[in-house]
Amino acid sequence: MNLFIDDETRARLEGIRALGASEIRPLGLEADRLGRPTPPEHPFFERLVKGGQGRTRWSGAPEASAPGERRSKVGSSRSTLCLAEEMAYWDRGVAVSFPGPGLGEPPLISMGTEDQKQRFLAPFIEPDRPRWGSFAMTEPGAGSDVAGIQASAQKEGGNWILNGAKSFAANASRADWIVVWATVDSSLGREGHRAFVVEKGTPGLEDFQVERKMGLKAYESTSFRLNDCRVPAANLIGGEEHYARKAGFKGAMRSFNATRPLVAIMAVGIGRAALDATTDFARENDLLCDIRVRDRLERARRKLRSARLLCWRAAWLADYGRPNILEASMSKAAAPTAALEAASLGMEVIGTVGGRGDHLIEKLFRDVKAMDIVEGTGQVQRLVMARQLVQFPRN
Amino acid sequence: MIDFELGDELELVRKTARDYADDHLRPGMRENESARSLGAKAWELFGEIGFACLEWPERGEAGGLGALAHSLVLEELAAADPGAALALEPLGAALYPLLEFGGEEAVLRYGEPLLTSPGARSVLVWVGAGGRASLADQGKRVSGSVPWIPADRVDSLILLDETRARVVRGGLEFRRVRGSGLRAAGASEVIFEGAEVVAEWEGEDEARRALARARLHTASLMLGVMREACDYSRNYALDRVAFGRPIAHHQALAFLIADMATALESARLLAWEAAWRLDTGLRADEACATAFLEAAEQTAFIGPNGVQILGGHGFMQDHPVEKFMREGRSLSLLLGGVDTARECAMRELAGTAGDVLLPLGDLS
Ligand SMILES: Cc1cc2nc3c(=O)[nH]c(=O)nc-3n(C[C@H](O)[C@H](O)[C@H](O)COP(=O)(O)OP(=O)(O)OC[C@H]3O[C@@H](n4cnc5c(N)ncnc54)[C@H](O)[C@@H]3O)c2cc1C
Repeated sequence: MNLFIDDETRARLEGIRALGASEIRPLGLEADRLGRPTPPEHPFFERLVKGGQGRTRWSGAPEASAPGERRSKVGSSRSTLCLAEEMAYWDRGVAVSFPGPGLGEPPLISMGTEDQKQRFLAPFIEPDRPRWGSFAMTEPGAGSDVAGIQASAQKEGGNWILNGAKSFAANASRADWIVVWATVDSSLGREGHRAFVVEKGTPGLEDFQVERKMGLKAYESTSFRLNDCRVPAANLIGGEEHYARKAGFKGAMRSFNATRPLVAIMAVGIGRAALDATTDFARENDLLCDIRVRDRLERARRKLRSARLLCWRAAWLADYGRPNILEASMSKAAAPTAALEAASLGMEVIGTVGGRGDHLIEKLFRDVKAMDIVEGTGQVQRLVMARQLVQFPRN
Repeated sequence: MIDFELGDELELVRKTARDYADDHLRPGMRENESARSLGAKAWELFGEIGFACLEWPERGEAGGLGALAHSLVLEELAAADPGAALALEPLGAALYPLLEFGGEEAVLRYGEPLLTSPGARSVLVWVGAGGRASLADQGKRVSGSVPWIPADRVDSLILLDETRARVVRGGLEFRRVRGSGLRAAGASEVIFEGAEVVAEWEGEDEARRALARARLHTASLMLGVMREACDYSRNYALDRVAFGRPIAHHQALAFLIADMATALESARLLAWEAAWRLDTGLRADEACATAFLEAAEQTAFIGPNGVQILGGHGFMQDHPVEKFMREGRSLSLLLGGVDTARECAMRELAGTAGDVLLPLGDLS
């Protein structure tokens, strides 16, 4: 048992803290005020890339993707979690807007062929400019019920023809490519799913609509359509053999899960920001002597602390390749609730100051709600847990 | 770096405790409750294994284990019977004031004699804020009463408050009360009739640390109660059929079961954090109070829901869930209860600048 954070991670946390105070938080507040995502040509992104951000985890060497080998100490999920919490502390929306392959990277690394990694991830090894990748699973008619996606993929000679609509994909309109999930036969459920890399400018990839959101405005959540969108067969992630092995969906659903705790810890970061701001306000306004206020602060803090430990433990299991489905879902179910509680308490403590709509806590209160929706809603996490705990049936 | 591995030694300690509890405590749970005592065999073995002085200063083969080891053992014992866990430890949480104020010498003086007579106990009584004790000092004597302690007789009482610890012997009357729970350990109102203070120490820091460690001790017992309530009700929900399927496969109960599992895990991780802090020599008062609070709050969630999952059957004493509900609640009343713990958990707050939730980089 050890809860110390190693020196290397600490040093990187210091870096984020400095960048967070000087750039990330101000940028998040600006985007929120202006009600638009930070534009891709913003000099901030250029500076980030020059400073070494926006890169892929993929090293470029074929061995690097062999299972078990990429779990170096520095690149551990635990370390990533610490950094993610700190980023989200300063601004979760800005953190998602950072250049990089984003959520499209994991399927490429775990399922992609060497050629595909070369084509789509190599540009992110030493990016010449800010570049983004994107990931589009959700559709207007299918979110939690992933098996129900309707976007279709039909083979035609050396191409696949994609048709359908995708919703809320982060950074999609600015991305070099989008990992799009579609089905070859919607009656097959998950077994019919295929993942494609759809490159920017492909005819038929169109109707980009940057959504207007309650919070997290600093990054774009974009809906778009695929109208007879013709994608070369070489862009089917993993190639047809991969799906012949029936590994299709399972490629994304292993017995360990590293992204749920990662999203969960971001909620902890948002909650911690809200709690700090609330405590500052309470101190400045002589509210800390009020037992009602203090008790509620205590509870909010305790819930965030236990949520953080749940995240850490799930990530620790993932780092050792141990099953963590239950633990990952626990963290993802607990953290957003704890964080919302902290932000909502913050609103009560600042009172009508929160009603003005221009206070950091008010923004965090809006931002944090998304955390219980993305990467599996709170209810979906409970379904996953129930499958583990009581073999809850899928149908 | 962050690591939740317990290691072979602790796993072995945990397994030993689990086996002992399965074989010697759980089967007799209801009999012990009505007898207000345990069988002699259970005591004998408990001492032989070395559990009686697990966290005491090392003495030959026994003792010398840390807060985390003790927490693991207490969870296992309490999962079978928290009253028995209290009854079995000769010092229980009374170890901490003795250790913090009087050091090894005091532990040996007041603890050692207990080891040789089964059932002999010294009991910690919190008489500070929230303890509901009404005591008056008359020089070296104390008069008054304490509404409830989970014991029928004791060798000595260790009275702890915010600034001092006192060892009291003689001049004590134990009036048996029914006890809401933990009856295997007994249940009494204690009347102090000029009871004699045989030792007294002063010191705020020592008192704070003793209380913190005692809170972790009680929190660990609550973990066991919660775990058993979760397991028992979950298994029942898989067996019991209503509306054509196991009740666990109705979403309302499936989600509740998932939330109960998460609640237990949250409480356990905070307890482990506190134990780790103690074992590592970090400041732990606030972490122990936090662990106690979370355990108390989650026990209050899990206990009653454990009963709810069994419906009417849960209310009947043929099943143990009603016992878990009572006993979890009873444990959380000790040591000044939740309000006193809340005060402690937030004590530093007024002084800290920013970063109320310990900042990541400064977890120490
Ligand atoms: C800010 C933001 C960013 C996003 N980014 C991306 C992205 O980059 N890429 C992407 O693909 N998607 C993204 N999404 C979409 C997100 O993954 C979905 O919104 C989410 O999966 C929920 O799907 P839904 O919105 O269709 O809700 P629904 O699935 O329609 O759910 C509605 C409600 O029903 C509940 N529910 C559903 N099924 C059950 C059940 N079996 N039992 C009990 N309750 C149930 C849900 O929990 C929810 O409360 C994003 C969403 C947001 C808000």
